[in-house]
Formats: sequence, structure tokens, C-alpha cells
Amino acid sequence: MHRTTTGAMSETYPTIAQCAIVATAFKILLFPAYKSTDFEVHRNWLAITNSLPPWEWYYEKTSEWTLDYPPFFAYFEWLMSQIAKLVDPAMLRISNLGYDSWETIYFQRTTVIVTELVLVYALQRFAESAHALDKRAAQAAAISVLLSPGLIIIDHIHFQYNGAMYGLLLLSLVLARQRSTLLASGLAFAALLCMKHIYLYLAPAYFVFLLRVYCLSPKSIFRIQVANCVKLGTGILAVFATAFGPFALKGQIPQILSRLFPFSRGLCHAYWAPNVWALYSLLDRLMIFVAPRLGLPVKTEAINSVTRGLVGDTAFAVLPEITPRLCFALTLLFQGIPLLKLFNRPNWDAFIGAVTLCGYASFLFGWHVHEKAILLVLIPFSLIALKDRRHVSAFRPLAVSGHVSLFPLLFTPAEFPIKTVYTIFWLVLFLMVFDRLAPASQRPRFFLFDRLTIIYIAVSIPLIVYCSLLHQMMFGKRYEFLPLMFMSSYSAVGVVVSWVGFMFVYFTS
Amino acid sequence: MAAASAMSSPHKPRRKTKKTAHFDANVKPEALVRSPSFPLEALLWPARTSLSQWETLPLILMAAGLFRWAAGLWGYSGQDKPPMFGDYEAQRHWMEITTHLPISQWYFHDLQWWGLDYPPLTAYHSWLCGRIGSLIDPSWFALYTSRGSDDPTLKIFMRATVIVSEYLIYIPAVVIFTRRYSRLFGVAQWPASIALVAIFLQPSTILIDHVHFQYNTVMLGFVVASMSSMLAGRYMWASIFFVGALGFKQMALYYAPAVFAFLLGTCISPRINLARFFGIAAVTVASFAILVLPFVLGSIYDTSRGIVSRPDLGGAHAPLPIFTFLSQYLDTSAAYYPVVEQIVQMIHRVFPFARGLFEDKVANFWCAVNVVVKLRGYPAELLQKASLLATLAAIFPPCAILLVKPRKELLPYAFATTAWGFFLFSYQVHEKSVLLPLLPMTLLLAGKQGLGKEVRSWVGFANTIGAWTMFPLLQRVGLKVPFVVLTSLWEYLLGLPPFSTSAYFPKGQTAAVQWATLLIHSLFYLAMTVWHIAEQTITPPPDKPDLWVVANVGVGFIGFSLCYLWCLWKLVQESGLIGTNKNKVKTK
Repeated sequence: MHRTTTGAMSETYPTIAQCAIVATAFKILLFPAYKSTDFEVHRNWLAITNSLPPWEWYYEKTSEWTLDYPPFFAYFEWLMSQIAKLVDPAMLRISNLGYDSWETIYFQRTTVIVTELVLVYALQRFAESAHALDKRAAQAAAISVLLSPGLIIIDHIHFQYNGAMYGLLLLSLVLARQRSTLLASGLAFAALLCMKHIYLYLAPAYFVFLLRVYCLSPKSIFRIQVANCVKLGTGILAVFATAFGPFALKGQIPQILSRLFPFSRGLCHAYWAPNVWALYSLLDRLMIFVAPRLGLPVKTEAINSVTRGLVGDTAFAVLPEITPRLCFALTLLFQGIPLLKLFNRPNWDAFIGAVTLCGYASFLFGWHVHEKAILLVLIPFSLIALKDRRHVSAFRPLAVSGHVSLFPLLFTPAEFPIKTVYTIFWLVLFLMVFDRLAPASQRPRFFLFDRLTIIYIAVSIPLIVYCSLLHQMMFGKRYEFLPLMFMSSYSAVGVVVSWVGFMFVYFTS
Repeated sequence: MAAASAMSSPHKPRRKTKKTAHFDANVKPEALVRSPSFPLEALLWPARTSLSQWETLPLILMAAGLFRWAAGLWGYSGQDKPPMFGDYEAQRHWMEITTHLPISQWYFHDLQWWGLDYPPLTAYHSWLCGRIGSLIDPSWFALYTSRGSDDPTLKIFMRATVIVSEYLIYIPAVVIFTRRYSRLFGVAQWPASIALVAIFLQPSTILIDHVHFQYNTVMLGFVVASMSSMLAGRYMWASIFFVGALGFKQMALYYAPAVFAFLLGTCISPRINLARFFGIAAVTVASFAILVLPFVLGSIYDTSRGIVSRPDLGGAHAPLPIFTFLSQYLDTSAAYYPVVEQIVQMIHRVFPFARGLFEDKVANFWCAVNVVVKLRGYPAELLQKASLLATLAAIFPPCAILLVKPRKELLPYAFATTAWGFFLFSYQVHEKSVLLPLLPMTLLLAGKQGLGKEVRSWVGFANTIGAWTMFPLLQRVGLKVPFVVLTSLWEYLLGLPPFSTSAYFPKGQTAAVQWATLLIHSLFYLAMTVWHIAEQTITPPPDKPDLWVVANVGVGFIGFSLCYLWCLWKLVQESGLIGTNKNKVKTK
């Protein structure tokens, strides 16, 4: 009904720019909102890059928030610090720990909004790159990313620069759509890796895709396109040399690597990211009650560790310990499976699917995963979620669980209405729009999947009410781990279900 | 859909929508519009084909709530400003006294510290909020010790009370009014939804209630509910709601002549209807009685318990503050005396007759004239009389028209004109009072051609100047950023200057009128822009420290006068008094 009344020829409204303007107004109103320690982290990096020569950047440790992003991000901070100097020089003093004058807040919050223009630009490119028939859908998907509650919560309240970096990622993904810009796509991704190394998780999909369509002949995988290989190889080398070269000359690479990859951290982050290890921990907790009957040994010293839900090494009471090696192996395994298909059928949709599945695998099985990393799955998935109704079906539980899992990031009462109402607003709006715009699939839907999703979504409401209100009223400060455990287990179920669903869609379409 | 309309009018069968639209050659059926003409229309573009309002309405309500709450993250009036703090402290203090003192002392308690000076409904509302808040943290409203509290959690609670009160009263009233008013003209649901968003995002309301801090929307909500009942033909409900508005905030008196004229008019034409007249009168008197009943009963009960309204006087009675002539007839030891004392004190607190013509710098006639002629030199009595006469002259035309032609279509115009008349000429006007004329004017967006260029440009003009005259007030408490964001957003969404001139050159006007409107409006937008730049960069000379505020008042006054004249002109035009045959046919 909806699609027949309005033709595809008319321009699609609202435009991305219009939405960006309204969203910007909202984001500016959020300036005085709660900000996490990440705000201080980035202020400290502004100070470090501004007041020290580059070869001291990765050694400076006055603040506990040392520089642990790759060099391009440090350069990015250095660039911003040039303007910060004019706004309030006091924020650039390394010793000024925890400094947050109004000027500093205005400045840092503004940089998040301004640098997010990269994302706006990339989304505009994405909407334009869609075929005429899919334009409305592409625009809806683009706007859903632009208005994502994830970015509002993480960037504009909690404080980070994901908008800019996911913008670069999307730009690279869009550039991969055309043969002529494949090289640019690869280089953009290399640059992104030199900004934030978390995107390494997506690198296998890039590697396979570029290898297959750019380095090997489209006709035969045994014919190597040498010129392309040279171009890509030297290009990537040049990007990495620009980033790491100056530090390599001073012999600082081991120091940088130790900052970038702190393997000493535990399996689960401060909160439990909603992945399989959260479910594994939950199972372990439950086993504490069952194990004595089964005659299994219970490690008593472990019982108190997870229940506090705080940072530290997670110890399991009944189930075997998880090693980083195992996480790594599982991640690679589940990344590898979709990549086989990508290698066989290297088209853009399959590439985006593979990027998404790489994100899923690393999020679900990775070591020390942070809940913010769910954006690695959500944002690439958004680009293809509207492909047909089966994709929407797989996207739906992820959209709910992924965003709900971000709620514990903001625990202050003033931000509670913002995070919940905004997320509900976004879910109602875009799940409704996606339902309307996604074309029917040629293949049958999965049995019962959609109905179970509805139940799953419905459960979220009492759960949020319990975790944010009832629990505190009933127990006060006791059992603080309980709401967190419920939230992360609930979200983990959603992410896992959506992952299984999408795997299925990926291999059957 | 049927269910929806049944919900809004449970007692009456569904009325046929009056299709007046096809009389007017200028009306374009909205469904045929090919591209949006301003950004708000574009944002709601996908909702054009939605079948039910229940898909878009929840989203609109959530979006409106998000902007309100986010704006509320900023500071409030008087935050960290001892010794007296500000409006926020006044409201909090009323919660403190109403929850701790016997009712007979509410209007008497320590009047130097934000003594209660709003009508009873505000007192009951404060009591309710105070009781709920005390459940969470009793220290927020502890007697004496809580004065000037700057507990951040208390701020969140207070912000929540504003938003909850608004969502219980103002928001449903506006939703229902918009639905009824747009149906009156056969306006489709989609443009009505756009108007709804525009009304909800009106910058002045958000800035004053949710940022600066007050509960104006409760009063405004009762007024809209009253207008909405008038549209539905439920005149007794209209008077009950209006008494509610008056009982919450005396400022609602700005509308009272229009309400009176309309209700009286419906009793006179088309035929004299005495039953209705007495019904309305009885209901009004009864509502007022119920409103003050708790105070009457409370003072009798308190007296019987030996509690007096002024414990500091040690049993003696203070002389009546006003109506002193009554004292010779009254016996201070009689049983009725505490009640009389209570009511007189309430009137005395609510209507500060003793104060001057104007207090701060307000963009009304007296303040503007004061720039040229120093009014302080004239006797206060003369000024009060002049003010009374000028106000009466200004509100006479709209009320007379409404009395003669009590037509529902005219309500927002008449309400706006009357409120502008009060704002411009009455005494003791506050800059925040501009919310009163702005509300009915903004409601016009839901009416005939409401999103058309003429109405949109004038409603936008009035709202922009209205918000701008409150800038000095907001700036004093560091609220420049939310002011700029909310006003710019609204102007952008409605396609108004400085972002667009799309609201000018409407069809059906002569070229002279089109150009004159554009020229006049542009001058004002330019003046406001120049003022902002000047105010930021140039320090006023030492002998004129208020230069920028005075300039603001002068420009604001002229702009508001134009708004008054436009509303009056449209009222005359729409009433058909100078009209064509077409309009006469409609009034039958």
C-alpha cells in the first residue's frame, strides 16, 4: 500500500541533511549531560599531543589514562588541540587532571559533533550509491545510522569519537561498491586501522574481498592482477608508514604495541558485554547451585568475583576457565566460515554481510570485549538490513538487544529518560519504517522466528523497569550485580539469536 | 479511527466534519502536494500516507519529551544565586510550606521568602508534588533547612514534576484541541500532526517552563482544554477548565474577557438561551467554591484546633491588608472571621494591587513609553486608570466581535487579540506573560491554511520576537545556548527567517501586502540579529547600562503591536463583519 502511492521518482524526504540539523540541535542540548572518564581520557590526549614531542606521546603516564590508540588518532588529537589552544589553554596542561571548565566541555562536545560530519558525508554517499529502486530504503537505513541511539549514548553523552571513525568505515564500505574506487576503499580502511585498532576485527573481510576482486582476476582465482597488488600493497604500506614510521625510526614500536594490546585484562569488561561469555558466566553462576548435586567441584574463591560485576579477572566457579587463545581461535573460526562464501561470491552485499559477521564473531567470542563494540555489528548491518524481510527479521533482535545493552553505560538518573525514551523512539520509528520498506523475500521466512522476536522485545520493557527502578527499591545497594547480569544475559540472547538468524540468511540468500 | 474519535467524545454521536475547505479557492488538498515546503513538513513526509494517528502521535510525544528533558539538563533560574535564588526556589519553597504547615498558614507564612502568591490550585499542586518528593528524600522539602537547596537529584525531581504535569494537562489538551480545530476546517490529519509538532516545540514554552523553571503549561493546558470544550460545544466544561486555569495562575485573566464574551455570546445567539446561561453561571460559581473550599474548611478546622494563621502575632489579629472598610462590619472573634481573613489574604497575595505599573523591562506600552517620557513623575492612580482604560480599549474590539459572532473558528484569534491587549497595556506585566498571547496564536497552525504562508509567517514572527524579548531574562542565568538552539531549531523547522523566506509571498494577497509583510518582517529579523551582535560585542555606555535591554523592549513592543493588529485584522476578516456573501452563508 505504502509503496504504490508514492513513486520512486520523487525525491525522498526527509533528506539526510535535514535530519542531521535536527539531530545536531538535540546533541547541543545534551552538552551539560553526564560524561564518563572518556571525556578526561580525550582531554588528557589533547594535552599530551599538544605539549609533548611525538616521541614522548606513548611514554607519558602522568594520568592513568595513557594514550592507547594508534598514531593517526594521536595526530587527530594534535590537530584538535591547535584549536583548543584558542578556546581554553588550561585544558592542554598535562598536570591539569580532571579539568572540565565550561569552555572545555563546549569545545570537546563540539568536536564530536563537527567530526561526525564524516559520518553524514559517508551516509549521503551511501544513499546516493543505491540503485534507483532501493533509494528510499537506502535513505531510511542511512538516517537510522545517523540517528542511532548508540552514537547518542556513546558519543554525545558518554563521550567518544565513534561518529567520525564509523564515518570513515562507512566511507570505505561505500567506496568498495564500485570497482574504480576499490583501491581508495582499501586505503581508507588502512587509515582507519591506524586511528583505532578495534577495526582489526573487520580486517579479515576486507582482506578476502580485496584479494578476490582487486588482486585476483574476476574470471579466475589463479590469475593474479600484479599491478593492482602493487598499488594496494604500496598504498597500504605508505599509510602505515605515515602513521607508525616516525615512531619506528625511534624504535618505539614495542612500546606502542604494549599500549595498544594490553593482554593483561580480563575476559569480561567492567560490565558484561552481551556475548557468549556473558551467557557462559551466567551458566557458571547457575551451576554453583547445581554442581554440589552433580558432585562437581566448586571453586569457592571464584564465587565472589563475578557477583560484584566489577573489573578484575573473571574466575569461573564450576566451568573450565577460558583462555585468550581459545577466544582467538573461536573468533577466527566463526569469521572464517562466512569468508569462504565471500571468496566464492564476491559481491558488495556479501562483502557487507561478511563485515557484519566478522563483527559478530569478534563481539561474541572476543577477549575483553566492551559493550560499545556492538556498533561494529550494528552499523555495517544497517546498510543491508533492508535488503529483504528476512534481513529485517535478523536485524530486529540485534537492534533491541544491542541498544539495551548500552544502557548500563549511563547510570545517572538525569540521563535515564534520554537513553530509554530516545532508544524506544528510534526502535519504534525504524522498525516500523523498515517493516514497510523491506521487500518480501523469495524464500520462506523462518518458522516462528518473528513471533519469538516479538516476545523477546516485549520482555525488554519489564526488564528495564526492574533493572533501573524496582531492583533499587527492593534491594537498595545489595546484589548490584543482578541487574547488570540480567541486562547482559538478556542482550546476549538477542545478539546470539540475531547472529544465528543472520548466518542462516547469509548462507541461504 | 472510529475508535479514536469515540474516545475523544464519549457522550455524543460523531459529528459530521464541516467541510468549509472547498469554499476557498486557495485551499490545496494536502494529499496532492508533491514536495515539502518547509523542513518540518519534510521530516513528517513519510507519515503522509499513514492511516492512523496512533502511529505518529506516540513518536511526536516522545520527540517533544526528549527535547524538553534535554533542555532541562541546563541550569534553572536562580541556580547558585544566593541570597534569594529564583523561580525554581519559589516553587520548591511552596512545596516545602504546603507539606509542613496547616493550610490556614499557607498564604501567611514568612512572606519575605517567596511567600505563596499564586491561586489555590498551585498550592494544591505544590502540596502533591511536595508529598511525592518527600517520599523520595524528605530533606528536599524540610521546613526552613531546605531553603535554596541545590541538590542535583532534587533538580531532576523538579524537572520531572514539570514534565509530568505538562503531559497530564497541556499535552492531551493540545492534542485534542488540534484534532477538533483542524476538523472544523476539514484539514487532513497529516498537516494537523505537523501543526502539533510545531506547537509542542514552541521555543518560549520550553525555555520558560523546562529550562528557566515554572509550571505555566499547567495553566495554559487548562486554557486549551477550555477552548477545546468550546469547540466541542461543552460550555460548562469550558467554564470548569477555565476556572482551573484561573485557579492555577491568575495570569489566565488575560483570556477571561474573551471567555466571558464567547460564553455569553453562545447564550444570546442564535437565540437567547437562558438555561445555558444559568447553567454556565452556576457551574462557574460552583467550581470557584470547590476551588477555595479546602481553605474555608481548613481555616475553620485549624481555628477549632487552636491554630491561627499568624502564630507570630501571639493571638492578635492583623488588620486586613485590603478591603479595610470591611473591618468595621466584622467581628474578629466571630467564627466566620478566620475564613474572611483567609479569603482576603488570598486575594491580596494573588493580585498585588499595590505594586507599580511595571517592574522589570517588559516589551509593553508602558515600558516603551517610559523610554521617552519618564512615567515615574506621574501619580500612580492616574497611571493605573490610564492603564485600565487603554487595556479596555484594546480588548473591546475582539470581545465585542466574539460576543456578536460567537463562532468557534474565531476562538484562537479572539483569545490571542485579547491577550495581546492585556500584555501591551495592562500593569504588572512580566516578560514571561508573552506566553499567553503566543499560545492561541500558535494554535492557529492547526486551523484553516494554518501551515500556509500567511499564518506561518505571522505565527513565526510572533514566536521569534516573543522568545527574543525573554533573552535578557535567560541570559542572566546562563541559558544562552538552549535559547539559541531551541529558537533556531523552531525557525528552521517552520522555514522562517533567517533560514528561509519560504513563508512569504502567499497566494491570494496583493503584491503590495506581500512586499509590505516581507519588508516589515525582514526589518525585525534584521533588527534582532543586529541587536544580538551589538549586545555581544559592544558594552553600553556607563550612563545607560540598560541600553540593550531598553532597545529590546522598544523593538519588542512595536513587533507585538503588529501582532495585535494582525490578529485583530484576521479576526475581523474571518468573522465576516466586513465580509462577503460567502462568509455570511457560513455563519448560518
